[in-house]
Amino acid sequence: MLGKSWKSAVAATAAAGLVSSAAAVSALAAEEVLRIGAPLALTGGLADEGKKQEAVWQLWLDKVNADGGVEVGGRTMKVEFVQYDYQTDGKRAGQLAEKLITDDEVDVLMAPFGSGHTKIVAAVAERYQVPLIACVASSVSVYDQGFQYLFGTLAPNTGMTESMTAYFKEKMPELRSVAVYGRDDVFPKAMASALADSAKSAGLEVTYNELYAVGTMDHSAAMSAIKAAEPDWVYMTGYTQDLILGRKQMQDLGVEAPIITMVTGPAYREFTEGLGELADGVTSSTWWHHATAYEGAVGPWETTAAFYADFLEAFGTDPDYVHGSCAAAADVLVNAVQTAGSTDKQAVRDALAATEILTFYGPIDFGENGMNQGREMPIIQVHGEEIKVLYPAAIADADLKMID
Amino acid sequence: MDILQILVNGIVLGALYACIAVGFSLVWGVLNVINMLHGSFIILGGYLTFFAWFYLGLNPILVLPAVALVLYLLGFALQYLFINKVVTAPVLTTLTLTFGLDMILYNLMTVYFTATPRRVTLDLGIVEFLGVVTPVDRLLGMGLALLLTALLYLVMRGSTIGRAIVAVRMDRQAAALMGIRVNRIYAITFGIGALMAGAAGAVFAMVFPVTTNLTGVFLGKAFVICVIGGLGSVPGALVGGLALGVIESFAGFLLGPQHAITVGFVLMLILLVVRPTGLVGVKGYE
Repeated sequence: MLGKSWKSAVAATAAAGLVSSAAAVSALAAEEVLRIGAPLALTGGLADEGKKQEAVWQLWLDKVNADGGVEVGGRTMKVEFVQYDYQTDGKRAGQLAEKLITDDEVDVLMAPFGSGHTKIVAAVAERYQVPLIACVASSVSVYDQGFQYLFGTLAPNTGMTESMTAYFKEKMPELRSVAVYGRDDVFPKAMASALADSAKSAGLEVTYNELYAVGTMDHSAAMSAIKAAEPDWVYMTGYTQDLILGRKQMQDLGVEAPIITMVTGPAYREFTEGLGELADGVTSSTWWHHATAYEGAVGPWETTAAFYADFLEAFGTDPDYVHGSCAAAADVLVNAVQTAGSTDKQAVRDALAATEILTFYGPIDFGENGMNQGREMPIIQVHGEEIKVLYPAAIADADLKMID
Repeated sequence: MDILQILVNGIVLGALYACIAVGFSLVWGVLNVINMLHGSFIILGGYLTFFAWFYLGLNPILVLPAVALVLYLLGFALQYLFINKVVTAPVLTTLTLTFGLDMILYNLMTVYFTATPRRVTLDLGIVEFLGVVTPVDRLLGMGLALLLTALLYLVMRGSTIGRAIVAVRMDRQAAALMGIRVNRIYAITFGIGALMAGAAGAVFAMVFPVTTNLTGVFLGKAFVICVIGGLGSVPGALVGGLALGVIESFAGFLLGPQHAITVGFVLMLILLVVRPTGLVGVKGYE
């Protein structure tokens, strides 16, 4: 009903205008197909994010299948995505993951957007022992459940908060206090908690540390309290609509801090569009930025620049970390199948666990809990209408700007 | 921390809440229909206002009457074509129907407008009085919300249509015997409910982000406000909205923002047990 198979493997081959001999090879190869299942939020609250995953995987698939597929143990395999819309309903994501495994008989699964829904799908994948790659889940609480088949391409939240605290302290030596205000939801809560811990470890005073409930429509009380606490740095986490409202109310109620961080607002174009001038100067961590320059990567894009160019041509807009991480997740998956030499689920799982490769998105090296480790994550800031990278120094294209 | 600031924050928010609930309360009270479309109506009003501002440069306040009219026509049509067919059925039937219609409207908006949060970035500044800071757009929203609520009150009290609506609410059969075309009154009432939602959406586009993610939140608020204030009456929605705004504001300050919403729901549960008619609701009265 809601599902559709991506048949573009055939379409791409035809479009490429390959001659009959190549078509014959393709027809032979069609007997072996790597089937990737993906429950996606294509409607409902997370539709924007789900569509990002869908779009970038289509781009990836077109690229891979334009080359005839992927080489596995000397054979060529076509790749096919089987996706269903779970309508941003966590329970349905779990049910559809089960359907993908038992009914559609996919070889591997991709997790949907967000730590909460990833956790639900991971439990299903674990039950059926199907490898699952999560490209948009970064909360350690998803990975500390003892899952053996779950791997995530985003790095742990804690790495982000420690490097951010250190960077701001270096740039603003008089930085003394921080107010932390997070959404009571898996990822935003984990980030708020990690930042409060990192700030305390770095000797900062946490003058305000509260969570707000999902469905909060007004931040007046919190902003009034933060204003009274007079912090040097305000750190707020949440979804884009929360952050837009929060930043607006900071301004309305006169919260003044030289550093305002909203995770992960500036990583999304809709944040800056929804705030206009108020977005200027807001900082955030992000897992990836297209300014990062990696070369010699596995997969269809050998460099970050090549991915960026293809993405820009296809969609006319800059990719964000969701696009980068999810495309890289597909590269990781193919690499594991190639290493395993087959689509045998246990062999692919073992190959994933041993993964240590460079993708256009950066290095992928899964730790014991299945999370990607050893990545230096960028700090970004809104400068006018542009997003600038402040950290790490190797890819920085601007210096920290204080908010007046 | 200035208690006065918390109180003002709560009152301003409460007036906006009242604007959410008044149309919902009317439809529930008169038609005995729990209108699951209400949150989506508000967001649709917000989108229409946003697009008029973004593409045509029109001020939200100028657009408000047109948006309200569009929503009225939509509400009237939906009631006339669909809901009237089952309006006398048990409440679960109409609830299911409006739930289905809401899924269609909600997903149409998500597909065509995307769930990307939008905002009318008309930052009108703040006013400061006695150390209390209030944003002008919220004050304006509060003024409009109170004005709309008062207008509806006057229409219900003083106009022929208003009296007919009240008559239908009190006794459907007797109203029909008096020559009132009941189905038409139902459609008008539902239309007015949608009109109020559209007007609220136009006001909110200046204050809150406009995104389909918030439809459920608005619907939930409308429900709580109606139970707190009292069903089916305009003053009930106003009192319920103001009470919830002030309670959430103080609860957020005293107990932490994490618990602000919980306190509102706890109050709703208590009232359901000890005073089911709400703070000012009187059964059978409009």
